[in-house]
Amino acid sequence: MRRLALLLMAALLVVPSARADDRQPTLAELEGEVMCPVCGTTLDQSSSPAAQQIKRLIAARIAAGDTKGQIKARLVSEYGQAILAAPEHKGFGLLAWWLPIAGIVAAAAVVGAGAWRWSRAREREPDGPQLDPVLERRIDDELAHWDT
Amino acid sequence: MARPARLAAQGLALAVVLGLLALLVWRVAHDSNKGVSQALKDGQHPTAPAFDLRRLDGRGSIDLAAVRGKKPIVLDFWASWCVPCIHESKRLEAARRRYGDRVDFIGVDTKDFSGDARQWQHKHGITYPSVHDGSGNVLAKWGGLPIPRIFFVARSGKVVGELVVEEDLPRYLQQIASS
Repeated sequence: MRRLALLLMAALLVVPSARADDRQPTLAELEGEVMCPVCGTTLDQSSSPAAQQIKRLIAARIAAGDTKGQIKARLVSEYGQAILAAPEHKGFGLLAWWLPIAGIVAAAAVVGAGAWRWSRAREREPDGPQLDPVLERRIDDELAHWDT
Repeated sequence: MARPARLAAQGLALAVVLGLLALLVWRVAHDSNKGVSQALKDGQHPTAPAFDLRRLDGRGSIDLAAVRGKKPIVLDFWASWCVPCIHESKRLEAARRRYGDRVDFIGVDTKDFSGDARQWQHKHGITYPSVHDGSGNVLAKWGGLPIPRIFFVARSGKVVGELVVEEDLPRYLQQIASS
């Protein structure tokens, strides 16, 4: 059951991006996913000559009928992986998507296990320190005396 | 948790933390390298960092390590979106007519779309060979943006200077041509 849930999560992360790569994008959509190589921002936040050049390239490839995946592949072949604002949902790039999730799951498991162990230890603890039987009998006698 | 298992878990956690720390130290040390430009400003003359990049004209690639040390080199970092690069590359093209037999002129088209770069060369009459450094990784080793950046490499393979003012071009060209 747990394996099935993990597989479903993987499918949810990978399949939508695969579908998105097969269709024609809009310029505005890609402007938010592609970096300007000289300004450290995405294209939609830059009007530098380098950013304008890439916007023209993207517009030309959209007009030529290229899919989102084809356009991104072309950009990566020209400028390297750093041209993409987010790592791709395949190959080594998958690590960047899965590692934080794995980290959160592992941290939650550690915290959960710690909390469980702590609560179990508390259940096993006696209510208070054990009294000396002689002292306890004396206290009982005293209390009985006051009750009468 | 049993004692051996607990020790193993603690050891693993410690190894992960130490690994991340080592990665951080390496990264900081790596970033402290400001490249050839900074070394020149500090009065040093480093060996020209090697690269092996494909030529824009499609005629194979240029391996700087193979050229370095055989002939003086002028290295021109440019891009088709860089307006000041037009002026500097045209000056180098003119200088090439005079020094081309003694000095190799090599362009490095950086952070640029190669199709636009080829058109740019044709439009401005730049005939010396250029390689494509689309990611800018090679530029980073020489000092990064802004461009144009023009470096002069002596026959020994050492970088002797970077063009800062107009007068540097004839001065450095004479220096490396006679090296």
